[in-house]
Amino acid sequence: MDALIERYPTKASALMPCIWVVMDEVGYVPSDAVDLLVEKLEVSRARVYELLSFYTMFRTEPQAEHTLQVCHNISCHIMGARPLIAHIEKRLGIRLGKRTPDNMFALEGVECIGACGMGPCLQLGKHLYEDLTNEKMDVILDSLRKGIVPRADTDRLTVEGGA
Amino acid sequence: MSLEQYKILSSRFGRDDGHKLSVYEAEGGYTALKKVMSTMKPGDVIEEVKESGLRGRGGAGFPTGVKWGFVPKDAAQVYFMVNADESEPGTFKDRYLMDYDPHQTIEGTIISCFAVNSSLAFIYIRGEFGWLVDRVQTAVDEAYAAGYLGKNILGSGFDLEVIVHKGAGAYICGEETGLINSVEGLKGQPSIKPPFPAIEGFLKQPTVVNNVESVAAVPWIINNGAAAYKNIGSEKSAGTKLFSVSGPIKNPGVYEIPLGMPFSEFFNDHLGGMVEGETLKAVIVGGSSVPILTAEEAMQVNLDYESLDEVGTFLGSGGMIIIPESSDMVELIQVLMHFYFDESCGQCTPCREGTGWLHQIIKKMRHGEGTADDLDLIEHVCQGMAGLTICALSDAAVMPMRSFIEKFRPEFEALIQETAPAGNASLWPRGE
Amino acid sequence: MAKLTIDGKELDVADGSSLFDACTTARGEELPNFCYHPDLSIAGVCRLCQVEIEGMPKLTIACNTVVRDGMVVHTRNERVTKTSRQILEMHLINHPVDCPICDQAGECGLQDQYMNFGLYDSEVQMQDKVNKAKAKVIGPQVILDKERCVLCTRCVRFCDEVTGTSELGIFERGNRSEIGTAPGVELDNNYSLNTVDICPVGALTSRDFRFQKRVWMLKGTESICAGCATGCNIRIDHEGGRIYRLLPRRNEAVNGAWMCDIGRMTYKTVHDEIRVTDPSAKGVSARWADLQGDLQGMMAAGWGLVVGSAHQSLEELHLLKMVAGEAKIVGGLAGSDMDIGDELLLNADRTPNRSGLAMLDLHEQDGANLAALITAAQGAVLIHGGNPASDDAVAKAITAHGQVIYLGTHQNETAQLCALVLPGATWAEKAGLFANKDGRLQSFKQSIARSGSSREDWRVLAEMVGPDGPSSLKAVRESLAAALNLGEVNLNKLPATGYAAKAVVPGGDS
Repeated sequence: MDALIERYPTKASALMPCIWVVMDEVGYVPSDAVDLLVEKLEVSRARVYELLSFYTMFRTEPQAEHTLQVCHNISCHIMGARPLIAHIEKRLGIRLGKRTPDNMFALEGVECIGACGMGPCLQLGKHLYEDLTNEKMDVILDSLRKGIVPRADTDRLTVEGGA
Repeated sequence: MSLEQYKILSSRFGRDDGHKLSVYEAEGGYTALKKVMSTMKPGDVIEEVKESGLRGRGGAGFPTGVKWGFVPKDAAQVYFMVNADESEPGTFKDRYLMDYDPHQTIEGTIISCFAVNSSLAFIYIRGEFGWLVDRVQTAVDEAYAAGYLGKNILGSGFDLEVIVHKGAGAYICGEETGLINSVEGLKGQPSIKPPFPAIEGFLKQPTVVNNVESVAAVPWIINNGAAAYKNIGSEKSAGTKLFSVSGPIKNPGVYEIPLGMPFSEFFNDHLGGMVEGETLKAVIVGGSSVPILTAEEAMQVNLDYESLDEVGTFLGSGGMIIIPESSDMVELIQVLMHFYFDESCGQCTPCREGTGWLHQIIKKMRHGEGTADDLDLIEHVCQGMAGLTICALSDAAVMPMRSFIEKFRPEFEALIQETAPAGNASLWPRGE
Repeated sequence: MAKLTIDGKELDVADGSSLFDACTTARGEELPNFCYHPDLSIAGVCRLCQVEIEGMPKLTIACNTVVRDGMVVHTRNERVTKTSRQILEMHLINHPVDCPICDQAGECGLQDQYMNFGLYDSEVQMQDKVNKAKAKVIGPQVILDKERCVLCTRCVRFCDEVTGTSELGIFERGNRSEIGTAPGVELDNNYSLNTVDICPVGALTSRDFRFQKRVWMLKGTESICAGCATGCNIRIDHEGGRIYRLLPRRNEAVNGAWMCDIGRMTYKTVHDEIRVTDPSAKGVSARWADLQGDLQGMMAAGWGLVVGSAHQSLEELHLLKMVAGEAKIVGGLAGSDMDIGDELLLNADRTPNRSGLAMLDLHEQDGANLAALITAAQGAVLIHGGNPASDDAVAKAITAHGQVIYLGTHQNETAQLCALVLPGATWAEKAGLFANKDGRLQSFKQSIARSGSSREDWRVLAEMVGPDGPSSLKAVRESLAAALNLGEVNLNKLPATGYAAKAVVPGGDS
């Protein structure tokens, strides 16, 4: 975090990237992380929680093992997002917006994630799966259940994916 | 017409090596930067870009060179933000630019910063494009290593630092002052204007915010000249535009076309027309916030700023959505109204309450609780929203809402007429 | 200067001023607004103050517009009125209809504007309204109702810009936005009740005032806070002989638009159970008439010592000097009623008129000295106000002396030890003048009637002076003005913002 604070022109402007540091490491931002941010960046507690509640990607509660985010905006809708969601709901036994009891999967509907021509699509952290069908979805779910994150086309761009 | 001659922005799309510095340089990359650093002054660059007729490619279409010209020449500190917050529904073109040709954007950024005398630039990438950040950061690192970034670039005395900044999930951060506030560590809520960013933006200093695509066009313009750019396109719309096309067409994807191409030509010759079994019903030409066109209207229109203005819509982001006959327009507008309700930052009352209200009315309508007054009520709500807010999100919700009703009114009326069976728990078709 | 035309009326306005203020001047009343406040930054979020400026296609918010010469502005034409109505409606659609149980009723921005130009029926059904938390305690003094909030951000800006404590924020986004404190944070700064003042609706309300009284039943009296030497200008809201709350009055030279929470609560001392409201001799209640004999007897031999206090008004101290005549008179117990101050308004000196003592050349004494003076006093001792017996030595001296009279308001240590206790009035129950820490003379008026048989202190003292002394408060003030060398200044007609006497010099060369 200190390196980030060095680079940014003011301490407060380093707040977002510092929150990302916590998100990447912990998966959510617990209260003591907020204490750390308040101290290091000299911002008020209110400011930190404003950001945590305003931005959808920042979370204040522990997350599921795999959060499946399916786009339900207009292009993906036209290309079949809703039937896909219904299919996933059936496979996981949960409704949209909920988590499986074993905390393995959470299913969220999200707004446009920038893969409209390749819809319906699903985001799992830094993995974006495009051109989905029910069959492809089943393959993904089975793989995840085995603890393996299946390869997404976008993996070619990330360091972990072998860029 | 073949699009091969129009690869200003997209020459390296689809390749697996175009993002590398070595490849970019071998193909003429950074020549424009070298030309600028050795032979041009900031004012010259601004003039060239003004002359070229390049307009903001993120959605607003404001002439880029003119925007640069607003920055006070004697400002002590100027900031530059590359807006890669691509979140407009239907839009997926900036990701391609950063994916396949990040150096083009970086070169464009450096030249742009030189033009406005900025020594610190942020590339604001939406949080959901987290998978893209490594590629962009690697390219930035390569540029530093090669001396294209950092202190005394190419011996010119010009310094530039670039920070890759990740968003965290808020469409409103694509609005330029929302983006600036987000980088400052605040919520990404737009600021009241005046003051305008070119005078008082990031940390109260002059700030320029440009879309990725706008910035990416700059190297070509410097290399080939403003006249060459102006020569492409139509009378009032110079150059090429990336259109990201989605919907049930044979060839969805990202296309670079000369502005002014008739939609019919684009649709038939390049998009391949509709897939088997579907007919064209409507087209949203430039991202969900622009008024919709019927199929007939779309077939009459050219894809440039002036032609689209004339028919009551606009070019926007170039996020084209093709809507088939099988689509239920009320269902689609519910999807869009949910989007604006979700993404409204909540600062100003007409938008905060209006987006929620519109969504609620449509949702109830689809639940079978619509009333005969609803269409008038929707218009009443729209009047309390349009043109009355700090930023244009309010208008962005109003325009599709009004145009869907204007052009597909019978579908709304039909739905209001019929009542959904009582106890129908679900709106959405359940796939079985 | 810029020449503007607003609603057909021409006016000249200083360059650089806000169009909002210019419109207020032209119209005689503010434009509809929630988020504007003259002492806070411009937010421009409520969107109500939209006006039509000729030559501009869209309506503009006046609060964020600087005047320009030649501007032609319309604030009441059909387009602007229709728009204001529509925007107000947006504020109302999710607002709960709490008026019957909301403290803000009667002084509510939404009610006022609705009655002014709204008057429509709701288009949103009750079950469709967005629900949020209600009746949430967010600090020792303030309670929050999130549904009522119109998200004007005044409170957030206040805590950021005035107190610098930033306890409040606005969380979530869209119509799920709600104000509140961050988890683990309370709104507990010493100025928290100002957020209640500036909240245009009943979202932030005072816990102390909650459900106590409908505001339209209250009468407001202009006064000065007696809690410390700053002398914030206040309004006492009262009804039927009870004070319900204190509110700040704007005085740019003293307290701006604010006052502190500690000051706000000082009204409670007026209704304290330990008030002295009837005379007593050696602890036994009596009537004024019955004590005249004792009093005259004590005064006949001449006063041994007269002790004032920084809590008493200038008029009273002036009379006290007349009462003392040749006898020794001192200002009171030095160093009494001192506490911690802050950087905003609260002064460490918790008395309202220490400067007044200096102006009248009265000097406080430390405990040992005061005790010695009492012991040495040949003749009765008169103590007016304060509580010098809080000092042990003084307490002992009073007990030993046996002929000490206390003119005061509370059953404190001094009252309990004195032979004769005469009930005076608290600052809220009489009129007078205080000099604040800067020597500014400020006048306070009587709000509620005195209880029991307590009397205005000045009258009690005037009687002690005798028939040669002044017989009206007016006359006391004239005499006081002369004593302070105030020249033309009429203490009976002070300007509303008080009078800045020059540097406080003992002997009063003002």
